[in-house]
Amino acid sequence: MYAVKSVAGAMGLGLIGFYLGLGIVAILRWLFGYPDPWGGEINIIGGWVLGVFLWLMGIGMWGQWGREWFGLKTYQRNLPGWQRYFTFNTDHKVIGIQYLVTFMVVFFLAGALAMLMRAELAQSGNQFLSNGQYNGTMGLHGILMVAVAVAAVIGGIGNYAVPLMIGARDMAFPRLNALTFWLVPPVAVGLLATPFLGGIEHGWTAYPPLAIRTNSAQVLFSLSIITFGLTSILGALNFIATIIYMRAPGLSWGRLPIFVWSMFATSWVALLYTQGFAAALFLVLLDRLGFSFFDPATGGDPLLYQHVFWFYSHPAVYIMVLPGFGLALELIAHFSRKPLFAYKYAVAAFLGILGLSGVVWAHHMFTSGMPNYLHGPFLVATELISVPTGLIFLSALGTIWLGRLWLKPPMLFALAVIFNFACGGVTGIFLADVPTDIHLQDTYFVVAHFHYTIVGGEIFALFAAIYYYFPKMTGRMYSERLAKLHFWWMFIGFNATFFLMHLPGIKGMNRRIADFQSELDPLNFTISLAAFFLGASFLVFIWNMVYSWVRGPVAEANPWRVRTLEWQTTSPPPHENFPSIPVVRGGPYDYGVPGSIHATFPSAPSAGFAGAPAGGGQ
Amino acid sequence: MALATAHQEAAHAPAYNHLAINRAGLWLFFFSETILFGLLLSARFYLEGIHREELNQFLGLLITIVLLLSSVTAYTAETAIEHDNKKVGSWYLFFTILLGLIFAGGVAFEWSIAHFHRSESFGSVFFTMTGVHATHVVTGVFMLILVWAQALRGRYGSKNAWPVSAVVMYWHFVDVVWVFYYPALYLTK
Amino acid sequence: MRKPMQTGLIVAAILAVLTITEYLFATHVDDDLIRFLGISVSAVGKAALIVYYFMHIYRLWRPQEAH
Ligand code: HEM
Ligand SMILES: [Cu+2]
Repeated sequence: MYAVKSVAGAMGLGLIGFYLGLGIVAILRWLFGYPDPWGGEINIIGGWVLGVFLWLMGIGMWGQWGREWFGLKTYQRNLPGWQRYFTFNTDHKVIGIQYLVTFMVVFFLAGALAMLMRAELAQSGNQFLSNGQYNGTMGLHGILMVAVAVAAVIGGIGNYAVPLMIGARDMAFPRLNALTFWLVPPVAVGLLATPFLGGIEHGWTAYPPLAIRTNSAQVLFSLSIITFGLTSILGALNFIATIIYMRAPGLSWGRLPIFVWSMFATSWVALLYTQGFAAALFLVLLDRLGFSFFDPATGGDPLLYQHVFWFYSHPAVYIMVLPGFGLALELIAHFSRKPLFAYKYAVAAFLGILGLSGVVWAHHMFTSGMPNYLHGPFLVATELISVPTGLIFLSALGTIWLGRLWLKPPMLFALAVIFNFACGGVTGIFLADVPTDIHLQDTYFVVAHFHYTIVGGEIFALFAAIYYYFPKMTGRMYSERLAKLHFWWMFIGFNATFFLMHLPGIKGMNRRIADFQSELDPLNFTISLAAFFLGASFLVFIWNMVYSWVRGPVAEANPWRVRTLEWQTTSPPPHENFPSIPVVRGGPYDYGVPGSIHATFPSAPSAGFAGAPAGGGQ
Repeated sequence: MALATAHQEAAHAPAYNHLAINRAGLWLFFFSETILFGLLLSARFYLEGIHREELNQFLGLLITIVLLLSSVTAYTAETAIEHDNKKVGSWYLFFTILLGLIFAGGVAFEWSIAHFHRSESFGSVFFTMTGVHATHVVTGVFMLILVWAQALRGRYGSKNAWPVSAVVMYWHFVDVVWVFYYPALYLTK
Repeated sequence: MRKPMQTGLIVAAILAVLTITEYLFATHVDDDLIRFLGISVSAVGKAALIVYYFMHIYRLWRPQEAH
């Protein structure tokens, strides 16, 4: 088995690199006359860098890329079947599935941690977890879920669908694409190793001074996130170049499917802001090594961290939710069998959010002690974002209006995105208003808000996309009954859990704490029950996916009778997607417009639909 | 519909302009890096205002001139290779490497004589900014050495200048960063 | 090849002049605002020269190779 050998070899190399890095740093320290060559954390940093590098080289980057730097010939190995998924494969469809499966696993793992937290929170006092263990569980849940939210839709669905939708054979930089995926396993290993060093104590936000003083798990956390940031940035770069340069002939900007537009806006956000998280954690690492950015005693300022961190992490919420919006609009148009309402305004809204996302970050810092004169501007800027967000809503509602809704599982999830996000957006306004936020900051109200936006807005969209693309990706169909069961189960469980969570928040129950006042017991017990109910819904999903992937009935090329390009090729698509590059002749959503077609395929020998117009208006 | 099928273009693959795509990718990378360097620059003013500790002004000016000069040699190398003048190209790549090493050495020397420590906030920003920048310089030197080795074997010419152009562009970018870092670190009051 | 080489030398000369200007502003001007403006304008000028003439940013929107 080549794949097994290659992964095992790469892991071995990575481990050797890690120890080599530890040693090299120790030798350097010794050469420079430090009293303790074994500095501890600085050695880990050296080990991480070398370990990740050798891991990448081992997994296939050397053969396909590295050799080129020295003027040698590169080679490629195209393995059959499942082995593709375990090698440095440059096919965007393979990479999309790699991302998707990896992050679904991470999602369920982090979900299990949430169940553990809810078990602890079902009752006041400590039952299962000590305070320290609770912190570690909460921090790991938070950061893993942030990783899922940032990468599952972009890396999974984006990679899979964008090149297909724009009629390209692959991404602009296929090897870079594979690189971004193969950086993920070290990140996962790093984060999952944190409990062994004492656990993440500071939540996903890693504020100093705690982040400076806490245990060495912080170092793994920072290194993993910096690496993950690199993945995000390189992926974004790839999407932008792909969308600008690889569109099929005739696919003008005005004909671009809305999901592609949302990926375009998202990618700019990721490209320009991800530096903030990486830089903030880099400075934390330096402070742990004796620098003084955040220690007021020696001229530093902990607020600097919050500024740099939120400079990324507010835009990050748009990295999470914009592709979700894009998917929701896309699916709503297809399953309402109507042209997308106000397409141009929706595009403008995506670009508007892109523009505004960088100037609102301090709404997370209203109670931090930053200067008061900053409150007003950041309040206003934050609420301004509701304007473009509202446009997206109107576009969705206008499309549904008088449409012939086809309530298939993807459509159900897409509609739920609109409903859930409305709740999340409304609670956002209370948080953006300084007078209310001063009371709500750091309570369960915030937790409810961001779960409504991220789970309700993005994770629901992710499931919509999975149910939409499953037949395309696997060539098989899932059980629609189970999918609908999953939908209603998840929808009810989600709303019960997170709607109720607002209430203890309003009463002042702090987030991130294992214990609470006993008067909140009944409420928290109910929330925990609802959360377990929500958690159980995913078992249906897992069963349905695994069973159908193996045993499901064979799917048609275009089971949803949709016009966009990814459905005009076989399921699953062949290696380079299309027998010939399509020529786009009209918009993607002109359902019911007589005589309209989206694209034609110039005749290619041997293709089933050679020369046939594809995606007619039906 | 019949109308549309009647007008079939011949089967063809769109001729992607690979050079343009590569170039755009590199620029996107620069945009992203700009934010990183910009954040560090902002952190410097956020923490310290325009306060600065005493630095060796002569050394600062010298390494600045060295780095600017290396950009000129890099430009010369790239232009030469684009015009198939392989010999001049390799020599100037070599000069660029040399100047880059002198710059890195200058920074290292500055570090060794600095009278402030990393545990003071000016020390923190100074060592971080120069350190991150110098890391980019050293990476650039490594990449220059790689293309230089190929250039010596005559691998690049007007048809195939992109690897040289890419490394040289990166080199200029690192230079542009220093154009801002030098005054921010050495020339404030 | 002579023409682009000449351009390079001219740009190099301007860069040198701007660097010296910057340095003189820093050492000889006491007014905070003027010093700040002098240094910033020189720095932005230098960056613009490098980005345009050395990094050929215009090739982004005029992709054909200029020889
Ligand atoms: C309708 C627009 C939105 C507004 C006005 C808004 C406003 C806010 C405000 C003011 C806070 C700070 C609360 C506090 O800590 O006191 C906040 C927190 C948060 N929001 Fe939003 N938000 C909006 C949309 C979103 C979206 C779309 C997402 C993600 C997809 C999101 C995710 C988050 C997260 C993760 C936090 C908490 C971060 C933390 O402290 O760990 N928000 N929101
Ligand atoms: Cu925010």
